[in-house]
Amino acid sequence: MLEASPAWRVGVDIGGTFTDIVFVSRNGEVRTRKVSSSVGDYGRAIVEGLLAVFDDSAKDGGGFDGRSVAEVLHATTVASNAILEAKGARTGLITTRGFRDVLEIRTLRMPRLYDLHWQKPPPLVERYLRHEVTERVNVRGEVEVPLDEAEVEAAVDALLAEGVEAIAVCLIHAYANPAHERRIGEIVARRAPGKVLCLSAEVLPEIKEYERTSTTVINAYVRPLVGAYLTKLIGSLSGISVGAPLMLMQSNGGLMTAEEAARLPMHVIESGPAAGVVGAAALAARIGEPRVISFDMGGTTAKAGLIEDYEVSRAAEYSVGGGIMVGSRLLTGAGYQLKVPAIDLAEVGAGGGSLVWIDPAGAPQVGPESAGARPGPVCYGLGNEQPTVTDANLALGYLNPTHLVGGQLRIDAERARRAIAERVAAPLGLSVEQAAHGAHLIAASNMIRAIKAVSSERGRDPRRFALVAFGGNGPLFAAGMAMTLGLKRVIVPPSAGVFSAVGLLCSDVEYHLTRSWRRLLLGLPVAELAAGVAALEEEAASRLAADGFPPGRREIRRTARLRYQGQSFDLAVKLPDGPVGPDTLAALAEGFGAEHERTYGHRAGPEEPVEIVGLQLVGRGLPESARMPERLQAANPVPAQPPRPAYFGARHGWLETPVLARADLVTPRPGPCIVEEYDATCLVPPGCTASLDGFGNIVIDIQG
Amino acid sequence: MSGQTHDPIEFELFKNAIFSVADEMALTIHRTTYSSVLKDNMDYSTAFCDAQGRLVAQGLTLPSHLGSIPAALAAVLRRFGDDMHEGDVFALNDPFEGGMHLPDIFLFRPIFVDGERLAIAATICHHTDVGGRVAGSNASDSTEIYQEGLRIAPMRIYDRGRPNETFFTFVERNVRVPVKVFGDLRAQMAACTIAERAFRDLVGQYGAGKVVAYMAELLDYAERLTRAAIRDLPDGEWRFLDHIDDDGVEPGRPIPLQVTLRKTGDRLVVDWTGSSRQVKGAINNTLSFTRSASYCGIRSILPANIPNNEGYFRAIEVVAPPGTIANAVLPAACAARGLTGFRMVDAMFGVLAMMLPDRVGAAGDGGNTGVSIGGYDAERRPFIYVDFTCCAWGGRPWADGLDGNSHMFANMSSQPIEVTEAEHPIQILSYGFIPDTMGPGRYRGGAPFCREYRFLETEGVLQVRSDRRTFRPFGLYGGLPGKPSMNTLTRDGATEVLPSKFCITIRRGDVFRHEVAGGGGWGDPLERDPAAVLRDVRNGLVSPGAARDDYGVVVDTGRWAVDEPATAALRRELARARGGAPPPAVNRGPAPAAAPEAARAAE
Repeated sequence: MLEASPAWRVGVDIGGTFTDIVFVSRNGEVRTRKVSSSVGDYGRAIVEGLLAVFDDSAKDGGGFDGRSVAEVLHATTVASNAILEAKGARTGLITTRGFRDVLEIRTLRMPRLYDLHWQKPPPLVERYLRHEVTERVNVRGEVEVPLDEAEVEAAVDALLAEGVEAIAVCLIHAYANPAHERRIGEIVARRAPGKVLCLSAEVLPEIKEYERTSTTVINAYVRPLVGAYLTKLIGSLSGISVGAPLMLMQSNGGLMTAEEAARLPMHVIESGPAAGVVGAAALAARIGEPRVISFDMGGTTAKAGLIEDYEVSRAAEYSVGGGIMVGSRLLTGAGYQLKVPAIDLAEVGAGGGSLVWIDPAGAPQVGPESAGARPGPVCYGLGNEQPTVTDANLALGYLNPTHLVGGQLRIDAERARRAIAERVAAPLGLSVEQAAHGAHLIAASNMIRAIKAVSSERGRDPRRFALVAFGGNGPLFAAGMAMTLGLKRVIVPPSAGVFSAVGLLCSDVEYHLTRSWRRLLLGLPVAELAAGVAALEEEAASRLAADGFPPGRREIRRTARLRYQGQSFDLAVKLPDGPVGPDTLAALAEGFGAEHERTYGHRAGPEEPVEIVGLQLVGRGLPESARMPERLQAANPVPAQPPRPAYFGARHGWLETPVLARADLVTPRPGPCIVEEYDATCLVPPGCTASLDGFGNIVIDIQG
Repeated sequence: MSGQTHDPIEFELFKNAIFSVADEMALTIHRTTYSSVLKDNMDYSTAFCDAQGRLVAQGLTLPSHLGSIPAALAAVLRRFGDDMHEGDVFALNDPFEGGMHLPDIFLFRPIFVDGERLAIAATICHHTDVGGRVAGSNASDSTEIYQEGLRIAPMRIYDRGRPNETFFTFVERNVRVPVKVFGDLRAQMAACTIAERAFRDLVGQYGAGKVVAYMAELLDYAERLTRAAIRDLPDGEWRFLDHIDDDGVEPGRPIPLQVTLRKTGDRLVVDWTGSSRQVKGAINNTLSFTRSASYCGIRSILPANIPNNEGYFRAIEVVAPPGTIANAVLPAACAARGLTGFRMVDAMFGVLAMMLPDRVGAAGDGGNTGVSIGGYDAERRPFIYVDFTCCAWGGRPWADGLDGNSHMFANMSSQPIEVTEAEHPIQILSYGFIPDTMGPGRYRGGAPFCREYRFLETEGVLQVRSDRRTFRPFGLYGGLPGKPSMNTLTRDGATEVLPSKFCITIRRGDVFRHEVAGGGGWGDPLERDPAAVLRDVRNGLVSPGAARDDYGVVVDTGRWAVDEPATAALRRELARARGGAPPPAVNRGPAPAAAPEAARAAE
């Protein structure tokens, strides 16, 4: 039976090992599918997964197909993989004479102290493909040395002769005056029509030459590849009658059209991790919980994000492939710098596959080495003998002793237990359960550092937040971590194991625009600020209009970045709604002081000059009707299992623990209990109570 | 381990928690600081000490502060150990009573729980200015400490929560930029507040008895890891000698740095006896700073997971006779002692390379060059621009030296050119690698860069502290030394060469150019992979002529290919011309003409 109008929205999240697909219908019906990612041709797994869901629907009477799909929302690692594997386009760079090496020198800092073995990531454009041209604009945007166009032509010809597929242009102070970059753009367009071209003043009109150069180069480097991927994907989708619009998740949590993503792929690089946090924010809004920490734990990494006043917290820049280290907020220099807004995530190398080992001084350690998906934990029986976090959870009775993923994966619990006995318990002189419980706690303490990084390290008391846990392993650890941190409530959404794909369905089209704009607040003519803001508003309006959002369906939020003059770090403060007037300046001054106090515990006196350093705007396209139904019906229900003994530390010892299905929590249940599902297992320790809220979420309340 | 008294799991959890507090303190300073010296050069440190003042956990901060906190805290405890109260804060910067150099102000806050002192939070920040004769309080040409700024003996600056107004007023009147100094002191206070809150949480969670026991165990744990790693090194004694060109006050008079490494069993001695007596210029070290340099060198060859605390120091003894550049006494000037610290780390790499030829690289550029430009604009408003640049590592036994990377001793970040131009009366004309300056080797030295500064105000003072002009970055085991550093000033079209350390008046339009020294090479350049030479030639870092002369590689620049037969022939010929003598372990290049005599005089 075909429906008259498309009824299903589809989220597709490509990860390193699995591609997660979630279908949600208007009335809240959910269908999920996990398929192996098809590395090299990621689109193939998507098509396979969608066809499998269509097949299922034919079998169970759901009866829908490609024409039933209203839109496809997509998170992909295509762009980040291109960077990490150095498989992007052959790219040339044109820059101001004297500054050829800005891209390679970077900021000088390295991400590890005392490390003689450090290797800088190789530049995305090698030195011989970086050309200088004579020209100079000064800090006020005045031309001091005119552009030598003959040199530009020679540089372009040399790059074309080298066979570059993309050209990036970044000149000193181009954010203040883009004229020379535009002229170079014209010359490139004339000599090489259709060549991929990225001008820094268009990509990122902001001060700081390294960050701007790196961002422009990344955009050029991934653009041919992302463009080809999206074109091919749209073709494959229409081949199975999915003609619905394709939207991409941006690193900042907003959606953008496939066309925009092909033009500015730098915005979609961290799309997968962002989607989960957006999902958590949507969930927070739905249940009326303004302060939430999202916690996403998979097989190799765990990530935490902060949601405050229902708003996702964002960072102004980040590093692609920066690696996983708690100190990365201090020790920058890894990976490739990208100055675009992104959801602020703290990541640690802790997942189900993290290895448990003993250091030379006899202290137990967890990670950061991981057994990965293959050979994986000892219990998979694929050749790894060093126990992992999953093996510890198994030995503790937290996981199903015979299979995972709803029966798809057989496991050997005894093998896991033996590995822990030999490699962890014996050297430490502990029992197997003590050692396994220790490994569980140490993994949790590593992940607690990620939670602290987004909360207490930024002046937020985590105890005032609820924890939203998802990913295959998040719901196993969340309640224990919440108890350690003093959080009162943990929420485990339906389809927790594929929640990032669900998150895709909760997002809106968004454009995040930023500008360098430096003025002292005191004595600033209001008209100047109004003009600066208006320029951004016009750009957002035109982009939203192009995507089909009429004025009534646009939401504009404006912020300024401020600091005390002389500080080198700034804070974002909202501009009050409505026209910019004299009150705006006072509101900014007060808002900044309050934010400084909240974040750092102190504020300077009123005589201290405050400086605006940048303006930002988020333009959001509002959907015609609510994107998500009120309540989702959990997919793939798993039948209840018999109770089993589980170990909860010296205080509780082994306890006979009921194993439940999510629906059983309609009646609140005290811990200990375990909720087993197709894509995740949720642990409710003693001292907690689990119940089901009106939206199908498991709510774990922590006593005391 | 003292396994009976504690639970290994709980201990590991405690260790994670207390180090995360030290890092959280560091982030607080990082985010709230006013000065780019702090943020970009990461010139601050944070730590937790126990009630007796033993360093328990130091944050992920400046390596050159690694050994400094115990000495500083000991000075505070000597004066105030029996007279500390809740809400007290103590400060000091005096190099001759616990400090390192005057810009580094230490702040300590004892943490009390139920009336008992259980821990002490510690922070160090390099402040933009602490008075003295030169803006920035960093001058290398001061000759006594009294010229360098305010000396703060260990002092109570908050008494049970009440500020010591005398102290703050005194500081306010004696520094050039009190707003920045007070802003950064507030950042230090904020970090201590965070530490206190977090520590009380830990006591609430574990109980005071366990927290005290675990802090002590954390020291033993680090000591065990350190000794286990040291035990694996060969026993013996190794020596290494290098020279600083001069102190800028007595130009042309070399300053020897002599280090001896003795290793027996699980114990290391780093002995600086034989190094220069203390010098007139401001590059004298305190013993604590010499310790930091020694610890940093050794850390680089030990496993990364050893905690930064006093337990690590226990296995390493650092010896430096008083009155030498490694352990100066009153009235030595020491504001610019960073130079000596960097060069001591390089000397540590040198001596470690004698002990472990396969694990340590050749000399890098010698550490930061300090460039400061100060003065007053037309409206008599002061400006101070301070820039530290460094970039080239020495070649390593497994890889080339890094091009454009900070020295390990100070993991600084560069200041963006566009921000520099927005905030200071300076225009940067160029910033890029200089070809044919890296020490050739099987693994070549890192590429240095040059930086050109055009001055845009009417008049100002330019002060530069650089080195490695006379004594070049050494190559190892067949590698050649890197090219020396260079300073020039171009005024009205004429260019003159300036010494490595100087202080001059500059005018509008003057262009100062600094070239960093190139990293030394490691291993025989004739064994370098020709493909790597080709890549360097194509990238314009090595000229085709240098490829031929230094590496014996003939590059066809038309096809961008190595001419294999010509290369093989040339390499044979170059090898024959050497006459079969094995290359020296250390290659410093031709000896400076006056150096040997002057070196003896200095000793």
